[in-house]
Amino acid sequence: MQADPTRKRGVTDLVGSLPLIIFACVLIYISFNAPNFLTLRNLELILMQSLPVVLVCAGLGAVVMAGGDDVVSGGIDLSIPATAVLSAGITAVMLSQGWPLAICAGVALLACLSVGLLNAALVTRIGMTPLLTTLAMFVAVVGVNNVITSSRRIDVDHPWIVALRAQEIAGVPLGIIAVALVVAAIYFALHRTRWGLNLQAAGGSRDAAEISGLPVSRLFGQSFVLASGTGYICGFFVLARGSGSSPGVQDNLMLEMVLATFLGAAFSTRRVVTMWGAVLGAVLVAAISIGFKSIGVNVFWTGLIKGSLIVIVVALSALAQRGR
Amino acid sequence: MDRTQNPIVNILLRFGFLVVFAGFFILFAAWNPVFLQGGNLLNIVEGASVLMILALGMTLIVATGGIDLSVGIALDFGAAFAVVAMKSYGLDWFGAACAGLIGGSLVGIFNAILVVGLRISPFLATLSTFFIGSSVQRIFTNGGGPISHRRMPEEFRNLALGDIFGVPTEAVIAFVLVVIYFLILERSIWGRRIHAMGMQRSASIVAGIRVNRILILCFVGASVTCAVAGLIAAANIRMFTPLSGFSYLLDAIAAVFIGAALHPRGRPNVPGTVAGVLFLGMVANGLNLMGLNFNTKDALQGIILLSALALAVAQQRARNR
Repeated sequence: MQADPTRKRGVTDLVGSLPLIIFACVLIYISFNAPNFLTLRNLELILMQSLPVVLVCAGLGAVVMAGGDDVVSGGIDLSIPATAVLSAGITAVMLSQGWPLAICAGVALLACLSVGLLNAALVTRIGMTPLLTTLAMFVAVVGVNNVITSSRRIDVDHPWIVALRAQEIAGVPLGIIAVALVVAAIYFALHRTRWGLNLQAAGGSRDAAEISGLPVSRLFGQSFVLASGTGYICGFFVLARGSGSSPGVQDNLMLEMVLATFLGAAFSTRRVVTMWGAVLGAVLVAAISIGFKSIGVNVFWTGLIKGSLIVIVVALSALAQRGR
Repeated sequence: MDRTQNPIVNILLRFGFLVVFAGFFILFAAWNPVFLQGGNLLNIVEGASVLMILALGMTLIVATGGIDLSVGIALDFGAAFAVVAMKSYGLDWFGAACAGLIGGSLVGIFNAILVVGLRISPFLATLSTFFIGSSVQRIFTNGGGPISHRRMPEEFRNLALGDIFGVPTEAVIAFVLVVIYFLILERSIWGRRIHAMGMQRSASIVAGIRVNRILILCFVGASVTCAVAGLIAAANIRMFTPLSGFSYLLDAIAAVFIGAALHPRGRPNVPGTVAGVLFLGMVANGLNLMGLNFNTKDALQGIILLSALALAVAQQRARNR
């Protein structure tokens, strides 16, 4: 290739930013067809809708950072959505039996953290691949949750849970503030503390991290526990969004989590999974879902659109990678 | 970490999976004597046929170093094309079966385009195939209603309900496919190339293996295999139920990885996959015979699956130490 290097660079950058451009075009198209789409009220709705996905994406982001971004052999935690419904299920069942919220939340926390610890033990001690471990864990935890809730819908109208959906502080919904705080805390822990930088080093190059004396497996294990923590918090937002626990929430949450997190990788300059990329991805996925609904696109088509989006974004970022 | 001091732990780790297999077998047999009857054992084999065929396709893809999340879609497409071919175009059973296999191969071709052509990782590529394939089925069936075909030709129905010398046809089909896959994957030059590619992609490229061509063939081959399972599923219930293949996905993955863990070098292999499928089939059948509540059975199955995988991997590590 005799192409002028600067020009080639420009083309690569253009290809690299195409995913963002495509998203922008889709959103502009929607806002032309649905005049209410770009109102503040609707943006708030989109953010509220995306909260559970944002939380699980933050957790998955941490695991991917600690384990490396190869999907099959690196870090991935598919059990987070199951942890979220477990947290929601336990809380809903115990609330309906008349326990105080604090105790329900405590029991749910113990259950969720043990899922995270079990993941960590299976991956770092026994040496199972994360993909396999967490996929099997997903099934087992969903099964246990179905026993706990008897696969029934359980309504929850505890004022604190309702507040996550309805309460506003200075005009901003409480839920958005709470999630923003949680995500900011995780971001701070991963990017501004010694522990977080060690964790990123472990994921960036396992061998190099081991040679420089970092406890790689322990860091990786801790990321699973952190992820189960985000699943736990997500459970309460699942309860708030659906006014209770209903069976089957986990499937959609899983699909949107994977879509958003790996979509997010296309937004980073090095094409790796980052915290902000994952969060941005989650919000964009919610925006597109709501947007297509509001211009009256048939619901049956959403899977097709989401699938094509993954293909386009991932193929483009592979192309951009090759151009470098 | 020296575990050789305790001989009992050592033996358990070495033969753990076999011990568990036998343990469950004895437990189920003790719980309900029906479990051991010849008819029920045949039931297990027959009930596991569809999963066995899917797991073979999955073994092939995992052996190339990838993973296929769209095996269920290939099953659905196989069933849908066959049922529609008979119902709307009046094809005979053979034409319908061919239509089903062609329908399934479309899924493989699409995967191959994404993985080989666009260089997307197999996990993300087949995940998007899964999204797109599910959505296509919803659009086609107007939201996921089944397409039933009551007056299905007798020959087609026999794919699932007939028997050859007293053995159910679906078990015979599964067995034939197992033999074919075994010969190709474990006993032929093609199989060596596939395994070489799965273990060391760049080394096999240097060694002159046509990696892309093999990948394309594997994806198409796996999806056609899954479409065979779709034909059986459609013949069994005389209809095409959209999105029904998804329920087999996790079991297929689990069977392949249990099988891989039983292999001395941890490679996915056909005999191991067969053992994994039979284990899962036995557990499902045994739990059913225990007469447990549906939710409890489901949860137990999930927990057993997780423990079996953990044990199989631990055992592999212990052997390699």
